[in-house]
Amino acid sequence: MNRDASYDAVIVGAGVAGALIAKRLTGAGMRVLVLEAGPGTSRSLDGYTQHLETFYAATAKSPESPWPPAVGAPQPDTTSLRNNDGYFVQRGPNLYGSSYTRLWGGSTLHWLGVSLRMLPEDFRMRSRHGVARDWPLDYTALAPYYEKAEREIGVSADVADQHYLGLSFSEGYDYPMRRIPPSYSDRVLGAAVDGMPVTMGDEEIAIRVRSYPAARNSIPRGDYQPVGAVDIGPEGRSGTSNLGERCQGNTSCTPICPVQAKYNAGKSMAQADQRLLTVQVQAVASKVRIDPVTGDVQGIEYKRYEDVGSPVHTTHLATGRVYILAAHATENAKLMLASGLEGPRGQVGRTLMDHPALYAWGMAPLDVGAYRGPQSTSGIEDLRGGAFRARHASFRFDIGNDGWRATTGAPDTAVADAVMKRNLFGPALRAQLETTLPRHVRLSLAVEQLPDPDNRISIDPNYLDAFGNPRPVIDYRIDDYTLAGMAAASDVARAVFRRAGITDCSDPDKGSWFPSAFYQGREFRYHGMGHFAGTHAMGDDPSGSVVNADQRAWEHSNLFLVGSGSFPTMGTSNPTLTLAALALRTADRLVATLAE
Amino acid sequence: MNGQLESFIGLSILLTGFDAVRLRGSGMAEPYLKAIGAVLPPDVVGDLLSAYEQLPPGSERERERVLESEILGDPRLGPVARNLIVLWYCGSWTQLPPAWRAAFGESPLDTNRVISGAAYQAGLQWEAAGGHPPGANPQGYGAWASGPQRSRE
Repeated sequence: MNRDASYDAVIVGAGVAGALIAKRLTGAGMRVLVLEAGPGTSRSLDGYTQHLETFYAATAKSPESPWPPAVGAPQPDTTSLRNNDGYFVQRGPNLYGSSYTRLWGGSTLHWLGVSLRMLPEDFRMRSRHGVARDWPLDYTALAPYYEKAEREIGVSADVADQHYLGLSFSEGYDYPMRRIPPSYSDRVLGAAVDGMPVTMGDEEIAIRVRSYPAARNSIPRGDYQPVGAVDIGPEGRSGTSNLGERCQGNTSCTPICPVQAKYNAGKSMAQADQRLLTVQVQAVASKVRIDPVTGDVQGIEYKRYEDVGSPVHTTHLATGRVYILAAHATENAKLMLASGLEGPRGQVGRTLMDHPALYAWGMAPLDVGAYRGPQSTSGIEDLRGGAFRARHASFRFDIGNDGWRATTGAPDTAVADAVMKRNLFGPALRAQLETTLPRHVRLSLAVEQLPDPDNRISIDPNYLDAFGNPRPVIDYRIDDYTLAGMAAASDVARAVFRRAGITDCSDPDKGSWFPSAFYQGREFRYHGMGHFAGTHAMGDDPSGSVVNADQRAWEHSNLFLVGSGSFPTMGTSNPTLTLAALALRTADRLVATLAE
Repeated sequence: MNGQLESFIGLSILLTGFDAVRLRGSGMAEPYLKAIGAVLPPDVVGDLLSAYEQLPPGSERERERVLESEILGDPRLGPVARNLIVLWYCGSWTQLPPAWRAAFGESPLDTNRVISGAAYQAGLQWEAAGGHPPGANPQGYGAWASGPQRSRE
């Protein structure tokens, strides 16, 4: 086995958490090695553009379509999730519906960019609502890191819009960039439903359409300089370009922002001190080596490959003073388990969560200007919190600007229907499409899920990938708490449509296929939000957690597991901003540790 | 080829409801003519274009009526013409129906697929929607905040 030179820190994974920590540590003078399982093709603008071309030519424009995996770093994709014949081995009873990408830049290459903070009450689910568990830190402790994260990843919002359900901000604070302008359809919907009362148990909650914070470049405030597209040259010269310093409204945040106006982890990697940073791409971490006496990590074995289409690889050992697993909630757990590290009470891989989500779609009475702008710009956030969470899940709505693309595959399917089934052609066909497509409205109803120890990632020697690394085996069940939240969310979506005069066209049989879940005689077709979490949860003591509030492993003093895997609960906010804030907090602790 | 191209564009105008400037300006007329030539058995494209050329002169409406019965209603040419509409609108080829394949011939290229990245970007469906293809031809920062403005012909 080849042994690499030793570093101050070895980071597994060139995604958002790893990139933020690499930037912070190199900025403090530390020597950092990053091991990335996938290829580094997104580092240059030319390489990134090739991914864009791949997307243009793809027949199924799924979240992974621009980002094909290497043989040695397989990843879940939407089609195989539906067929259950891909990277994941799913044992049910429900299908886990999310995917991610193994590539330099990670899943931020195809995230939507929603950068909501968690609510103060989200950190205290046990104390406040009597369910699940509390975090070992609260909103106040994390708030300064939220501010830092919003600057690091570049979030656009007006703080005046964001005071609700206890969210508070430091005196005089505002986001680094002005809010992304809400879409015309947001305004039309808002005019109809703002102030509409919704009953949740004993509570009456007024809802409104609200601009959400987005990691997409907008007009900067003060001295903030938006960070454009990544372009790291072949000779190792690091850089970003002026391209993408404003969102252009490509309606393609997922699966690829053509100009990189939306944040991806490559931007933080490009801003790291390149003299102190070594990145090994096509290097799949396969084992964490532990000193059996002290429990400390001695090194990380990884499998390096030259050819993305081949299973041929060589094995190496990376060593450092500290080790940071930032490989994804699933991959972190998988790597630990593959190393024989099950954590205190076997908790590694357990309490896997997501935001199971439903679609509602409808036809507005007039044009709302669908199929343009960022995929979404606003949401309904008022039902993210409340006393009802003692009984059922909270939820939030994302209001689409992209018509029925996600729900039915329109406009392609609308064209096919009009031509093949209704025999329309010529001016009549064109008129039919022009009078219907711009009226398409889509809501995504993302529902909270609580930690359940039986929902888990495990490994099985019968299921290995081409390199002999284990594939994730998933047990997953959506419980009544979440299902009751789905029922409530569906009812609210219907009420919103009624109020706005929108004809409800939600018909799962006419939509893209998604798995079913049943509750009190109702069937819900859900999909995943890509929000993997909870697989190495943090806590106050080892009896109920894998890492402490600094994301340091209880059982291994020089090992840190970072990312949404550390979330004890996940509320309703998209996890990236919170995991970024946690990563920056951990980076501060690492700088202090390494300086000792 | 030039004569074929003229007929192909003429037929495409009637089928799509978009005018010659729009169709020529897409840059896709030649690639599409080539693509259907490659995917279809010999003579089908020629027969389709001949059928178009034989449409009686007269008003658009009258020509559309004849096109509907003589081309779209024809068991051999109809499915091809409908595929051509979808090609212009979506940039993708749709596999012909099993009955058609059995009767008139199969081709390894006759599969559901996007013809090319350029074809995806040129899809007329996005213009019909008042939008743009995701990932290409964006309207610019903040344009989405304005109400839809369609210039109807």
